[in-house]
Amino acid sequence: MTNRPLRDAAMPVIEIVHLGKRYRDVAAVDDVTLQVRAGQIYALLGLNGAGKTTLIRLLLGMIAPTAGTVRVLGAAVSAGDRAAWGRVGYLVEAAAAYPELTVRENLDVARRLRRLPGTSDDVIERLALTPYAERRARTLSLGNLQRLALARALLHTPALLVLDEPVNGLDPAGVAEIRALLADLAHQHGTTVFLSSHLLAEVARLATRIGIMHDGRLVGEHDAGQLDRHRRRHLRLATHDDAAAHAVLRAHGYHPEPATPAGLLLTDERALAQPERVATALVHGGVPPTDLHLQEEDLEAFFLRTVGSSRKTGPEAGTGTYPGTGTGAGDA
Amino acid sequence: MREALWAELLKARRSRLPWVTALAFGVATLVCGMFMFILADPARARAFGLLGGKAEISGAGADWPGYLALLAQAAAVGGLGVYGLIVVWLFGREFSDRTATDLLALPTSRTAVVAAKFTIGAIWALLLALLLTGLGLLIGALLALPGWSAPGAVQGSGRIMAAAALAALTAAPLALAASVGRGYLAAVGVLFAIVFTSQVIAALGYGAVFPWSVPGLFAGIAGPGQDPPGLAGLALVAATGVTGAITTAVWWNRADHTR
Repeated sequence: MTNRPLRDAAMPVIEIVHLGKRYRDVAAVDDVTLQVRAGQIYALLGLNGAGKTTLIRLLLGMIAPTAGTVRVLGAAVSAGDRAAWGRVGYLVEAAAAYPELTVRENLDVARRLRRLPGTSDDVIERLALTPYAERRARTLSLGNLQRLALARALLHTPALLVLDEPVNGLDPAGVAEIRALLADLAHQHGTTVFLSSHLLAEVARLATRIGIMHDGRLVGEHDAGQLDRHRRRHLRLATHDDAAAHAVLRAHGYHPEPATPAGLLLTDERALAQPERVATALVHGGVPPTDLHLQEEDLEAFFLRTVGSSRKTGPEAGTGTYPGTGTGAGDA
Repeated sequence: MREALWAELLKARRSRLPWVTALAFGVATLVCGMFMFILADPARARAFGLLGGKAEISGAGADWPGYLALLAQAAAVGGLGVYGLIVVWLFGREFSDRTATDLLALPTSRTAVVAAKFTIGAIWALLLALLLTGLGLLIGALLALPGWSAPGAVQGSGRIMAAAALAALTAAPLALAASVGRGYLAAVGVLFAIVFTSQVIAALGYGAVFPWSVPGLFAGIAGPGQDPPGLAGLALVAATGVTGAITTAVWWNRADHTR
C-alpha cells in the first residue's frame, strides 16, 4: 500500500468537532473542537491528566466518544472503519514491543499487519537502529525502545503521524534527532504531525501550531510563529529616585505601574518597542536609569498563566478557543 | 487474516511457552505410562520403589483400552489447564507487554487479530493432542501392554483427540477474561476457579450441564458407572467455545481501550 502524504493544505487532516468523553462524573475530554491541516505540526500541550492521551485515543478510534465526532483523512473514525489507518502512523503512551522478538522482527510484525511489501531496512537506518536490529527488544534501553516504537510508526511514511510524548526516554542528542526527523517529514514529505507533549521548549521549536489542554478542555490554540505576541513582556527599570522617575515617565505619556522595591514596571507597547526613548526621557528628567531590562515571559510561565486563567474562569466560562471564534483565554 | 496469522505464528515460535506446554503434555503421557507399568505388575513396581509398601492401586486395567482411556482423561483434565494457559498467554500478553495498542488502528481488522490468535491456539492444541497420542502409543508399545487391536487403537486415539478438542473449546472464554482483565492475572484466577468448580460440580453429579466438566466426563473420568455427557453436554461445550470467541472479538471491537 502506498501512502500519499496530503499536499492540499486546505483539507483538514484531522477534524474534531465538540468531542467529549465522560467516565461517569469525570469529563476526560470536554467539548474539544480543533482542526489540523495538511503539513502542520500540531502540538498538544498539557499537564499530566489534562486529557491529551484520551484525546489521542479518541482520534485513533481506541475509545468511543460520548459526544462529538472525529474525522481523520476525511474518514469518520470508529472501531469498525479502517479506511484511514493505512495512512496513519502512531505511538500512544509508553513505547512497547514484543520482548522476545528482535528489533527487525518487531518491525516485520508491524509491516505485515500494515500489509507493506519490502523490508524494514530503511526505517531501521533512519532511526539509527542498525546496531540493534538483531537484538531482542527486551534488551533495549528505554531510548532505543522509543526509537523502535517511532520506527514502527514511520514504517509506511504515513500521511498523518500521531505521537504521544514522542521524545520520552531519549537523551538530548536523540531528542534533536527526532525533532529533525519530524521536521523533515513535515517539510519534505508533507506529513502532518499531531503530537502531545509536556516539554514546552521542545514543542516551541518543532510545532507550527500549539493547542493547550487543561482539565479535558482545549483552553487555547496558537500559531507557533505568533506565540511571541501572546507572551507577556515588560520593561523593568530602576533609578536612584523611583518616585521622581515615575512622575517623569507619566509626564512623557507612559503608564508605569506604582514603584516597588524591585523598581518600576512598564508594559506600554511604545516603551517595549523603543526602550532607548524611555532611557532618554529619564536622563533628560534628571533621574537616569541605573538598570533597565526588557523581560519576556518564558514559555513555561505563559503555559501556566493560560492553564491558570482557565482554572479561574472554570469550564462554564467557555474559554476554549475554537477555529473561527478566536476568543479563548489563550488568544485573548 | 493471513497477515495476522503470520504475526501470531512468529510470536508463538519465539516464545518458550510452546516448549513448556509440550513438556507438560510429555510428562503427563509418561505419568500415564508409569501408571500402567505399576498396574501391570505391582510387585515389580514395589521392587523399583515406584509403589509404597502398603499402597493398593485400582481403577484402569493394565491393557491398551485402559491405557488409552487414561490418556483421554489426561487430555481432558490436563488439557483444560494447559490450553487455558495458552489462551491466556495469547491474549493477556498483549496487555501485559502493552502491545495491544499497536493492534488497534491498522489496516488489519481487530477481528482478524482475534481470529488469528484463536487459530494459532487451535493449531497449538491440536499439535499437543497429537504429541500426547503419538507419545502415548509409543510408550504403550514399549510397555508391551496386552489387548492391542488396530480398531481399538484408532477408537482410543480418536477419543483422546476428541477429549482434547472439547477441552480446547472450553478454554475459549479465558480469552475474554484475559482481555477484560487486561493481562494474565485475572484470567489465571478465572482458570483456577473453573478447574476447581468443574471438579466439584462433576463430583456432585451435575457435570453434564457444566461445560468445563464435560470433557472429563466424556473421557470417562467418573468411572464406568457414570453416563457420558450426551449430545446436550457436547452442544454446551461447542456453545461455550463459540460464545467465548465471539464475545472476545466483540470486546476487542467495542471496548474502550484505555491501556
